[in-house]
Amino acid sequence: MSQHTKDSQKEVKVEDLLRLKRAERPDDAFWGEFDKELHQRMLQTLVKKGPLHLQIWRTLSGRLTQSVGVACAAAFLALMVVRPVFIGTTSADLPVAQIDNSALTSTSVVEVAMSDLDVSSIEADHDYSIEGISPNVESSDERFTRDFGMEGFELAMDADYSSDEASMRPSFGSAGVATTLVY
Amino acid sequence: MATSGSVTESIFPAQEAQVSDRDLDWAVVQKVQSGNVGAYDQLVQKYREKIFSVVYNMTSNREDAADLTQETFIKAFQAIARFKGKSSFFTWIYRIAINTTMTFLKKRSRRRFISYENIDEEVSNSEIFERLTAKNQTEKGALVNELQEKLNDALQKLSLKHRTVVILHEIEGLEHAEIAEITKTSVGTVRSRLHYAKQQLQGYLKDYLG
Repeated sequence: MSQHTKDSQKEVKVEDLLRLKRAERPDDAFWGEFDKELHQRMLQTLVKKGPLHLQIWRTLSGRLTQSVGVACAAAFLALMVVRPVFIGTTSADLPVAQIDNSALTSTSVVEVAMSDLDVSSIEADHDYSIEGISPNVESSDERFTRDFGMEGFELAMDADYSSDEASMRPSFGSAGVATTLVY
Repeated sequence: MATSGSVTESIFPAQEAQVSDRDLDWAVVQKVQSGNVGAYDQLVQKYREKIFSVVYNMTSNREDAADLTQETFIKAFQAIARFKGKSSFFTWIYRIAINTTMTFLKKRSRRRFISYENIDEEVSNSEIFERLTAKNQTEKGALVNELQEKLNDALQKLSLKHRTVVILHEIEGLEHAEIAEITKTSVGTVRSRLHYAKQQLQGYLKDYLG
């Protein structure tokens, strides 16, 4: 430590002023709080810190959990969106299909679609909604399957029922989105 | 490294104390390394005020200084297993503190926020304040606050390297060789930086000098 012995000099020097900075010191209360915080932070460090292989495993498992979570959410969402497409293939009596039926008949979008259909060619006891969202269903009426089954739902999305191109696109996605729009 | 003999002790008392301190610290470090985590608190209690003082004078912000001082001790604790005792614990922890503070200050280069520590009241009764009060013909309380602000401002105007050297030497009272070891530079570089820093400070603080 350096010795400064300039008491005899009366002129104020830079060194004298800088030495005044030594008097800027915190009080005891500050140190109490400081020690408390430091102990907490050190405890956190001790808890967090582990062997390297454990740290790697924690990182990987954390990411894995996150990925699985996202995948599950995506699968659930996909199921909810695409599900109506498959319902028609299993049973026409499912409650979802019944709700779908009522929604279709009450929605203006579908009403437009229905107005463009040649209704006379379709049997009265047909369940449109169920077959409409089930493009894979085999039907003896080829026109019905093609025109209503696919285009009906393309119309809901694109508002272009008359387009033949749309009817030639057997897309799960478009059919699914169209169905949710109807809901 | 411990020296013995009355001649040595009388000629180099400070150095003898330093060597002794170093041995004591090394013993505590070895305890911590062997698993006695509680022993680390002895080192914290011994150096917290010195480390805080350096960091505070470098940042001119008491909250940042407290945070960085804690960070310094945490970093040292995390790395203590790798400490081999080639330098003293004192040098090692000062180096960690200065590197941590420099990194912090470089990151926040655009943001300057000042938060002063309280000045010990005893200092206002010191001889230097008597002289300054007489010279400037101002009230002592006002002068204390004004000078504190000017000093902190002046230090903040220095570059980090110059600020570090002037704080370690003039405020903390470290020798040139100790500063050279901490900053990993030569003694010549330390002297040169100190000379330049003082010149700069003389310009900034000329109203209070003479």
